Amino acid sequence: MSPVGWAITLIVVLIIVILVLISVYFINRIIVLSNRIDNAWSQIDVQLKKRADLVPNLVETVKGYMKHEQKAIEMVTKARERMMTAGGVEEKIKAGRELTAALKTIFALAENYPNLKANENFKLLQEQLEGIESKIAYARQFYNDSTLSYNNMISTIPGRWFAGTMHRVQRPYFEITEEERAPVRVSF
Amino acid sequence: MEKISFFDQIARNKRNSILLSIFIIALVVALVYTIAYLLLPGFAIFFLVFAAAIMVAHAYTSYNYGDRIVLKATSAKPADPIEHVYLINTVEGLSIAAGIPPPKVYVVDDDEINAFACGKDPKHASIAVTTGALKNLNRTELEGVVGHEISHIANYDIRFMTLVAVLVGLVAILSYMLLRSYRVTKGEKGKAGLLIFAGFLLAIFAPIVSRLVQAMISRRREFSADAGSAQLTRYPEGLASALEKILKINRGKMKVSESISHLFISDPNRSPLDELFATHPPLEKRIKILKAM
Repeated sequence: MSPVGWAITLIVVLIIVILVLISVYFINRIIVLSNRIDNAWSQIDVQLKKRADLVPNLVETVKGYMKHEQKAIEMVTKARERMMTAGGVEEKIKAGRELTAALKTIFALAENYPNLKANENFKLLQEQLEGIESKIAYARQFYNDSTLSYNNMISTIPGRWFAGTMHRVQRPYFEITEEERAPVRVSF
Repeated sequence: MEKISFFDQIARNKRNSILLSIFIIALVVALVYTIAYLLLPGFAIFFLVFAAAIMVAHAYTSYNYGDRIVLKATSAKPADPIEHVYLINTVEGLSIAAGIPPPKVYVVDDDEINAFACGKDPKHASIAVTTGALKNLNRTELEGVVGHEISHIANYDIRFMTLVAVLVGLVAILSYMLLRSYRVTKGEKGKAGLLIFAGFLLAIFAPIVSRLVQAMISRRREFSADAGSAQLTRYPEGLASALEKILKINRGKMKVSESISHLFISDPNRSPLDELFATHPPLEKRIKILKAM
């Protein structure tokens, strides 16, 4: 081969190597970002489970004091049961919301029972449940942030070319109901 | 809203950590060689090898155990799972938001409002908050402060900053020793005057240069960690109001070494030289930027 031939071969090989490297980078990136969304969901799931585990404790503590609030207590127990038996993501989210509402009612009613509010066990449970509630909110935020990075990746060039061949589609965001929405939303 | 990409910053922090380690190893080996040459010229080479070995071991130790050294230097105690349950919950919540494992939580007994994070990576990280912060800050303010530290962890600032803390302390000690040895040999004449002069310069300038490096690297990081906190809490006013309280309450007289001051959210040692050596940007400026977000 002539020197020119060698040069052309070298350039072609170089271009192929660069293209392969770029492809590997983007394919891995798409997989990593997509896995991050799954991981974000499992974070939410862990917190939902932790909360469901605390509920029987709470019911036990509250029962003795709130004799006239059987309905509210029952609501919590039922919401927890639904939470435990829920299968899919959608179902879990729905049951999680019901449990949140039911717990809110219990804590609002507890305001009328000074003895209960002074109970050390109750105070600790309340702090733990509030902590979990905010962790669920943060986990949801991480879920949506991860979904945004992923969706941006697969909808912009060159990510969308790879996403197409990998049969990857946009992932849905975690819907936030009106009352759960944080008071202040900032963007920058 | 676009998530701030930490990738560039993470890569930069990892690269800087390596560069810094090499730089400090070279600097200290030069210092030790100078000392040895002044005191025992015959054994200078032996000391050179010895110092190099020690310094590599030292760099390895400060990479792996730097967080323990820093925590010990501030007498931070592990947070009590009952008494500080609220702080622990806040840290865990924000680490979930940042997608990192929950760091270990410590409390420093001090009346000033302050906090810092250290460690080599998000898997081996610690957050410490002062009792003054727990007492004076409300929920959203504490979240802002913790968010700032969590974002230092998530973008690997802590690896670089912890290394700097341990190494700056070491350079300060060594140049002090060099200055002492210079005084010891001062009387003897004809002992490679140039080298003595170089050693003298090194002893004076090494701490100044390392302090300057410490100041430069950490000022920019504070702004980006503030932005990261706003990103995590979705509420920049929380951190802004915490910084306002710091401005009002703190006097910058915490009992911590100057070599770890850049780790803190607000400068724990204020001094008249801050114009040049300040490890933190002015609080007023940070508050203004946060409020404009």
